[in-house]
Amino acid sequence: MRRRVILFGPVSALLGGVIARAAQARAPTLPVIGYLGSETPERVASRLEAFRGGLAEAGFAEGRNVAMAFRWADGRYEQLPALAKELAASGIAVLVAPGGAPVVLAARAATETIPIVFEMGGDPVALGVVDDLARPRGNLTGVSSLSVEVSNKRLEYMRELFPMTAALAVAVNPSSPTAGSQLAGLQASAGSLGLQLHVLEARREDEFETLFAAPRRLGVPGLVFTSDPYFAYRSAHLATLANRHGLPAITQSRDFPNAGGLMSYGGDFTQTHRQAGLYAGRLLRGEKPRDLPVQLVTKVELFANVGAATRLGVTLPPSILSSADVVIE
Amino acid sequence: MRLGINPAMPRFRMPARGSLFRQYFFVLFAAVVVPLLAAGGSQAWFGYQVQRAHLNDLLGAEARTAAARIAIFIDSIENQLAWMVHLPWAQGADERRRIDALRLLRHAPAVTSLRLIDGASKERLSVSRVGLNRVESGDDASADPAVLGARTGQAWFGPVTYHRNTEPYMTVAVAGNRAAAGVAVAEINLKLILDVIAGIRIGENGQAFVLDRPGRLIAHPDISLVLRGAADRTAENFQALRAAILAQDGRAVAGPDPAGRAVVAALAPVQGPDWSVIVYEPSAEAFGPIRAAFWRLLGLLLAGTGFAAVLAYWLAGRMTGPIRLLEDGASRIGAGQFDHRIDIARSDELGRLATRFNQMAREVAISRERSERIDRLKRFLAPQVAELVDRTGDDSVLDGQRVEVVVVFGDLRGFTPFSARSEPTVIMDVLGEYHAAVGRTVNRHGATLVSLAGDGVMILVNAPVACPEPALRAARMVIEMQATVQALAATWRARGHALGFGVGLAMGPATVGRIGSDSRMDYTAIGTVTNLSSRLCASARDGEILVDRTAAEAIGSGVPLVSLGTRRLKGFDDPIAVFAVAAGEGTDARPAPDAAA
Repeated sequence: MRRRVILFGPVSALLGGVIARAAQARAPTLPVIGYLGSETPERVASRLEAFRGGLAEAGFAEGRNVAMAFRWADGRYEQLPALAKELAASGIAVLVAPGGAPVVLAARAATETIPIVFEMGGDPVALGVVDDLARPRGNLTGVSSLSVEVSNKRLEYMRELFPMTAALAVAVNPSSPTAGSQLAGLQASAGSLGLQLHVLEARREDEFETLFAAPRRLGVPGLVFTSDPYFAYRSAHLATLANRHGLPAITQSRDFPNAGGLMSYGGDFTQTHRQAGLYAGRLLRGEKPRDLPVQLVTKVELFANVGAATRLGVTLPPSILSSADVVIE
Repeated sequence: MRLGINPAMPRFRMPARGSLFRQYFFVLFAAVVVPLLAAGGSQAWFGYQVQRAHLNDLLGAEARTAAARIAIFIDSIENQLAWMVHLPWAQGADERRRIDALRLLRHAPAVTSLRLIDGASKERLSVSRVGLNRVESGDDASADPAVLGARTGQAWFGPVTYHRNTEPYMTVAVAGNRAAAGVAVAEINLKLILDVIAGIRIGENGQAFVLDRPGRLIAHPDISLVLRGAADRTAENFQALRAAILAQDGRAVAGPDPAGRAVVAALAPVQGPDWSVIVYEPSAEAFGPIRAAFWRLLGLLLAGTGFAAVLAYWLAGRMTGPIRLLEDGASRIGAGQFDHRIDIARSDELGRLATRFNQMAREVAISRERSERIDRLKRFLAPQVAELVDRTGDDSVLDGQRVEVVVVFGDLRGFTPFSARSEPTVIMDVLGEYHAAVGRTVNRHGATLVSLAGDGVMILVNAPVACPEPALRAARMVIEMQATVQALAATWRARGHALGFGVGLAMGPATVGRIGSDSRMDYTAIGTVTNLSSRLCASARDGEILVDRTAAEAIGSGVPLVSLGTRRLKGFDDPIAVFAVAAGEGTDARPAPDAAA
């Protein structure tokens, strides 16, 4: 009996050690990508899929050779800085900040050492995120869709729809860092197009209702949305409201016409998120952010929904139909 | 037992310098290895050359294909633009052309903006993906280099510019076939060549890239290299590669890529915008087949060399082993080991040589045995006789037989007192002179000196070799002998030695032959005649030659004899008739003519 105890002691100790080591080997310490989400997983599902596609292109698959840590702000952008700090402190290898300037600014404030990949619609230089596109200094690099730059093109397309109108309404999110520059650009464009602009503001979802009610009240035929991630992530809501109010509108995201809205014109977010995933993978491989130039999206896409046009009682002119990358019947 | 190779020695001992084994080994080894190495080396060299040429062709073809794909990219844009300037401009806004321009933007994703200029160099339409479209702005474009360039007849390609110092752009302008159709000027985002260039794969890991005329990177599968802008130093690497290819008249060259890997690169030009498409493949991959072939060849050469060494060792051993056996056998036989036999079981020349050696050893053994026997005989045979026996190789004459022989005894008178008072050297000198004189005489007469015992000598005539008239021959011999010894005795007496010489001669039947054993053998005659001769000698005075009756009768009148009557001799019951040779003038002491033949 005693002998058995003596024997079992070291054997079980040895076994325990082996099992512990095996368990450790089964769960090796994968590098972790911190993903700072401004919204909810549901709202960014398609973008996240594109991001994972880019990661796979760089040779990474979640759970196999990389782990992902998510933080979601659920639309409350003021929480982003705290979430970013939390992620940065959790031992991540790369911090991904997709979905616009507020996210990347929060990420940049959280760490100066962890490489950051951003995805945004604005001009990273103008926003002070990086000082040089070709050679981003510091720990940031990323991708910019041209959505912010092409706000004036949305005004132009709305004008194509209503060539005789003298005024159009513009929806702005005043909390967006790019709101001022976009408005200035739109005002200039409106001048050259001979249009008067009615600027409507909306910060929160509960202000959308009044936003859609205002144009009819002001006597303008269409509403042009500035580029803003908050709007973009709520495309379905905006489409519903536009239909309910019978208001022709154009936004930056294809999600809007896909959900029944009239038109969208903006950068291809699947391309930007895929590219962000690719860069995250390359940073994981040890490349330095300064060697990865900030990329501008190559594809700016026009989506038009013919069904929505019929419902709204407008006719899409040949110029729009022939320009549209996708025409939804 | 094989004596050629000592089993105690190591099997692969180093052969001595200059040994036959060494020479054979090196000659045989070289005979195989030198052609093998020459063939292998030339095979490797020509294989490398062929592979190099093949690689050159292959990469050249890849480069041309890549250049063609880039050219298609450019051409498609050029065609789209040409399509915009088919018709001459009318007065006023052209809505149809505007829609065509918008459609062009949709179908040509690389075109970011398009301007249409009419025949009067006024801007009629401008569409853009980012900026606002303009219709009928009427801006004067007559000084625009793009418009001027396109009007020369061909598509005009502007210099590559980097938008915001990162994105490569180029202006392309195409004029219509009539001046009134105007010019289409488009801004091209060259980043979109990425789709083309990323689709080009050279081998497993090879890639392609595009440089403009000043050597700036326009397209590369890794877009981040392109986006680093014109000021980036990684382009220098590509420029060096291009310069190296151009310096080699367009043949594929080896060099480092930006990551520092060794690559092989080839170049093809893109005609319109004057770009260079360079394709490259990692050297390790490009030369993979030749490297594999080289290692294979090296393996075969090593195996061949090893085989040649083994073969040369075996052949050299096979050649020199028997020779060493022969050498060893020769030295053993030379040392007298005649029973040694060289064991080479081969049917070639070496085998025959060994057989000859063995045969020779046998014959040498026989001949030595004979010569030993003859050497033994020579002691008691006259040289002539010995030579006869030697020559015929037959010593049967020495066999025991009963013959009629003449036995002669002689000895010195006064020798006993002389030997008692003289010095040994003096005694030996006297005996030497005496024996030499007797021996010479015996030889001259063909007799056989069978015994020398101090001052006494015993001589046989008619045995072992028979001769005619033995008694007369013996008589003539002893006369000469007496005269010679007496002449010597005169000199001895002059030196104070009182010495004389007496001789006894008898004839009769006796048993002659060899007596003794292998170690000590004599030839002698046994019988009364020997005793008689000895007694006659003892009875003879100095200078006297006593002859018995039988001999005297046989001599007859050949030599004058004087009868001395009868004498009583010891050992003989009856008195013996004794004769003396009347030595004096007229005595013929010359040997018989055949005696010294």
